[in-house]
Amino acid sequence: MATFGSLALLIALALAAYNLLAGAVALRLLATGQSSRIAPERLADTARRAGIAGFVAVSAAAFALIWSVFANDFSITYILEHSNRDLPAAYKFAALWSGQEGSLLLWAWLLGTFGFILRLRHKTDVKLYAYAGTIIAAVQVFFLAILVFAAPPFALTQGAVPQDGFGLNPLLQYPEMVIHPPLLYLGYVGFSVPFAFALGALMMRYPGERWIKITRVWTMVTWLFLTLGIFLGMHWAYAVLGWGGYWGWDPVENASLMPWLTGTAFLHSVMMQEKRGMMKSWNIWLIFSTFLLTLLGTTLTRGGLVSSVHAFAESSIGNWFLVFMLLVLAVCIFTYILQHRHLESERQLESLVSRESSFLFNNLVLLTACFVILWGTLFPILSEFVQGSKVTVGAPFFNRVAVPIGLFLIFLTGVGPLLPWRASSFRSIRRNFVAPVVVLWLTVIGCLAAGIRPWNNGTFDRGDFYALVAFVLAAAVVTAVVVEFLRGAKVISRQTGGNLFVSIFALIRRNTRRYGGYIVHVGVVIVVVGLAGAAFNRSQEQELALGSKMPIGPYTLVCTGFTQDANPNYDSEYAMLDVYRDGKRAFQMNPEKRVYTASQQPQTMVAIHSVPGWDLYVVYEGANPDTGQPIIKAFLNPLVSWIWAGVALMCLGTVIALMPSQKPAALKGGQA
Amino acid sequence: MNRSQAAVFWMRACQALALAVAVCFSMGATTAGARFNDLSHRLMCTCGCAQLLGECNHVGCTESTRERNELSAAIAAGQTNQQIFAAFSAKYGAIVLAAPPAKGFDLIAWIAPFAVFAAALLGVILLVRRWSAGQSAPAVLHNDPATLALREKIRRETGSVNNGGF
Amino acid sequence: MTQSLGLILGAFLGLVLFLYTFWPEKNSASQREKTRIDYLLERKEQLYDNLRDLNFEYRAGKYPEEDYQAQRSLMEDETARILAQIETLQKA
Repeated sequence: MATFGSLALLIALALAAYNLLAGAVALRLLATGQSSRIAPERLADTARRAGIAGFVAVSAAAFALIWSVFANDFSITYILEHSNRDLPAAYKFAALWSGQEGSLLLWAWLLGTFGFILRLRHKTDVKLYAYAGTIIAAVQVFFLAILVFAAPPFALTQGAVPQDGFGLNPLLQYPEMVIHPPLLYLGYVGFSVPFAFALGALMMRYPGERWIKITRVWTMVTWLFLTLGIFLGMHWAYAVLGWGGYWGWDPVENASLMPWLTGTAFLHSVMMQEKRGMMKSWNIWLIFSTFLLTLLGTTLTRGGLVSSVHAFAESSIGNWFLVFMLLVLAVCIFTYILQHRHLESERQLESLVSRESSFLFNNLVLLTACFVILWGTLFPILSEFVQGSKVTVGAPFFNRVAVPIGLFLIFLTGVGPLLPWRASSFRSIRRNFVAPVVVLWLTVIGCLAAGIRPWNNGTFDRGDFYALVAFVLAAAVVTAVVVEFLRGAKVISRQTGGNLFVSIFALIRRNTRRYGGYIVHVGVVIVVVGLAGAAFNRSQEQELALGSKMPIGPYTLVCTGFTQDANPNYDSEYAMLDVYRDGKRAFQMNPEKRVYTASQQPQTMVAIHSVPGWDLYVVYEGANPDTGQPIIKAFLNPLVSWIWAGVALMCLGTVIALMPSQKPAALKGGQA
Repeated sequence: MNRSQAAVFWMRACQALALAVAVCFSMGATTAGARFNDLSHRLMCTCGCAQLLGECNHVGCTESTRERNELSAAIAAGQTNQQIFAAFSAKYGAIVLAAPPAKGFDLIAWIAPFAVFAAALLGVILLVRRWSAGQSAPAVLHNDPATLALREKIRRETGSVNNGGF
Repeated sequence: MTQSLGLILGAFLGLVLFLYTFWPEKNSASQREKTRIDYLLERKEQLYDNLRDLNFEYRAGKYPEEDYQAQRSLMEDETARILAQIETLQKA
């Protein structure tokens, strides 16, 4: 199977290269109108079909790798290092993306899949699709070249083949880990599509903004995948790493957040272009940067430039990525310089307080956030270069700098929807702000009364202050969105006579994108409330003898025993804790520690009891070697479940926004 | 409310405020545990795991236990935060501090984000002002009969208030 | 699976894909240039959407009367010019 896989990759590379070359030549011939021996349109069609065939070839390679994992073919180094015989089936699948070579193959396969769908739909706009398909082929050539020359997944083990593999990294043996990386990759790869369309549209001087409509679904689906990927990663970190938090500002986490930020900025500002023909250059550069940023994470960690918990293996592919990024950047700059006249704005902005300018500010903040993260991630390299010594730029830096920016963003989330398009002055739209501002002050009073005060203990507590601001802004934003829904629903209900709920439903159907977007905003706000809860985290560590007690918040943990267990994949050791609340036994928790047989690596399994107000999060830290008694660390983390609920709402909103809006004609017909 | 009542009210208010401040400051003495928690989240574990010292919990870490003991000892010995940070960075290098110190070249790390934000904000405001200033001249509408007829058609098709469409 | 079987399978895959790619196709999709009318129709659709939106926001009470009148006139005027161009092109 190794031979077949390698061969399939080679074929895929050849096809992608042909797709790129033939596509480029055909488009060049069509653009210049030169005559040639073969009709350029037929040449372009063979290029397109080469792309489809390439997808089949990459799929065959991916299939070969999965097959080999399940066949326990340890003659393949990759499988030897990332699997073992007793690994559960789901994690054998995960072996495809648990190592560098496999992840790259997954990346190439996803890119092939996206390209496949795109090439099947080429009739929408043959020429634009030909450009986009050729650009995608160029990206594909890069990934396949790495897979063939630098990181071959089917490389064979030297010498005798061992009986069993070394197993999957225990950190990755967790349900989220089976889906988190593919979702994240779907997010990364997905941005290649709007990138290819944007670059293609610029190259061919595509008239109008229809390419945005064509790629809108791609961009939104990609954004959804990236969002889900990031949050599943957070949930995984929370449930597996056992330090009580979910976000450590690790370079790889940062690397996933950066394209998310620029992608979010793109989703917003592209509306300006679609609706009003403004900010064309800006949008082009936003999507260029987003695409480049999707490559940056791999460049940084695999290149060994920055240290990260994710950098399982440093290798030469970092240089490949660096060169490719520079190449892409060069192409982008070159095309832009050549064609920038095509991007001149059709009209200008009316005022500082219109919806248009709120998008500008939204972009400003999102991009500043992206810059801050990039800066913090790269500063150690800069510092080493200038001062000769490395410094750490860790969580304290990011929390200090990024949190105020995030809060400002939430503020804009609330203000934006209140401003109509093309507004001319603030005076005329003042009344839109009444309800949110009233709610804002009521929440301030409410929070202060509830004891959320920034001056606890006589000193200014920054965490509490930020939490207060976050809660207050959240309340105002939700009010703004609710008011917006009610306003629209009233118009509908005036015309159709339907009740409020029916009208809200009709309203959403009428403009799924806008109202779905508002639902996403509410989701974001709920996530922020959950994040702000971290200001009030509490933790406690204690050695628990049999029957001894450990109070935390409203709970008391009582140790009722600790025991051991074993299965073929791992041995485990866990504590049995009874949790009392108000003097009554409420539930039991079993925090666990595992030692995986194949890798001989230990891993904690956190016990989490989640209620809307807080999570009780209990870690078994191991037995004290002197006394033999278990050491338990317990955290009381307020509002964590709000984060996951908010993400669910964000997904719901995105799905709504993805559905087509009801056409006005249909509505009219229904009423007549 | 007459004058003397008002005076009494303000007197009471001041007393209450003073009391509140006094209570706050008397609570200000943080416990050693809280200080350990704070400082261990401002230092890194140096084993290469790239985690904060207070959060490094992976089994078999060769560094974090020792570092934590050193931190506890330093707190017990009554050292100030500055002394503790200085001692740690002397021993392990600047890399042990979870965020760069706000002095020297490292100050740039702290300033750049805000400088960039301020510059970008200024830029956007200026840009918007310039754009909206260019709009001051009222656009001339075409009033020839053909255009007016088309406008009437458009108004019908996009639903004016009169026909109740959308 | 033996190495030679892998080779044979791989070669077979390569052959099939090669044939698929270069199979003579008579009616390959033509790369029609986007015409001026296509572009104008797109613009018209967008402007119509914007106008509907404007009407809706006005009726939802987000827009002051004078702003609304002025904006609507401007946008209708712009749309009218597009419609006029479409008509001329369609007649030609």
